Amino acid sequence: MLRIRWFLVICIVLAILLPLTAQTSSSALQPTEELQPRFSSAFALVHRAEAAGATREETADLVLLLNKALQLSEEATRLPGSEAQRATLLAQVDETLGRVETEATRLEVTASQRTFTNRVVAYVIGSIAAFLATLAYVCTGHVWRKYRIKRTFQMRIFPKVK
Amino acid sequence: MFSQSRRNLLVVFLTLLVIFEMVAYVTTTPRPREQFFQLYVLGANRLLSDYYPNNDPNIMVGDLVRWHVGVTDSMGSVQLVVIRIKLANQTIRPPDDLQAQPSPAPLITEFRRFIQDNETWEMPFFWQIVNADMPEGSTRILEMQINNETYQVPGLTALDGHNFRVILELWTWEPQSETFQFGWSSGNERRVAWLQVWFNMTSSARQ
Repeated sequence: MLRIRWFLVICIVLAILLPLTAQTSSSALQPTEELQPRFSSAFALVHRAEAAGATREETADLVLLLNKALQLSEEATRLPGSEAQRATLLAQVDETLGRVETEATRLEVTASQRTFTNRVVAYVIGSIAAFLATLAYVCTGHVWRKYRIKRTFQMRIFPKVK
Repeated sequence: MFSQSRRNLLVVFLTLLVIFEMVAYVTTTPRPREQFFQLYVLGANRLLSDYYPNNDPNIMVGDLVRWHVGVTDSMGSVQLVVIRIKLANQTIRPPDDLQAQPSPAPLITEFRRFIQDNETWEMPFFWQIVNADMPEGSTRILEMQINNETYQVPGLTALDGHNFRVILELWTWEPQSETFQFGWSSGNERRVAWLQVWFNMTSSARQ
């Protein structure tokens, strides 16, 4: 009876410890500091703007702002003492990231509209081109037929000269 | 219903429509390409030479080593990269390329930056050993200065001061897991980029 109880206790302890050890080994692969959630969401918005079709030139300003925020954040971390200065820097980080988020959201809308318009225009141009090519085919056939008829009527019959 | 010529015309139009719409699809759809990063270290003159002062890999306390570290983003999107600087001796494992595992060497510092697609971020990496201990037959680095910032080194020792290494690892921000990961994901693969430069420190001052 006692043995069974010990066995159960060991099983429960192992059941608790095994997932914990698994978590530790996986966190060794993807470790360390988490970015502030604000950075993460601003970065995700920039990615969304890019996926929507924002160009390199358009995202350049956002990357500049992100780097500025990163630099300010690092300065705030390194700043010895002075809580007031740190708070000022962090407020600047917050403001900069706010600008990134606003601009990235605007860019995403603009870029997705532009991408959609470009796509629609490309398909419409494709249809028009197909129609024009068909027209050209018809016209060419018509001209060719007229030419052949003309040539036929221009034919002369000569007797064979031996 | 349709005459033969109209039927032929319809066939021609539909064929041309398919061809031109395929062209429209190809031109509006971005092509998949290989995603990768490049990581490099250049010497004092931004060349693949002059890695050590006087071209002598035996560094002394206070010798300023001038390198230039760069990363190029060819991932097709903006990326947040981190270059982690680690200091190791001969016995510490280097990063594992196959398992995509970073080196267990102590982290000295790291540099973060958002970079655009096709952009190269290059930064000066000037470092020197500012404090080292030399007990019998070994060298222990205690303090290191990188770009004018001093960092404590958690007691790294090498026999006779030989075969110290500066390891540079490239980490990237993984949006799905919201963590920094060693290397980057390319499709289903995990790829890594790291460098190491060896140096010795057999005496604390030049003769």
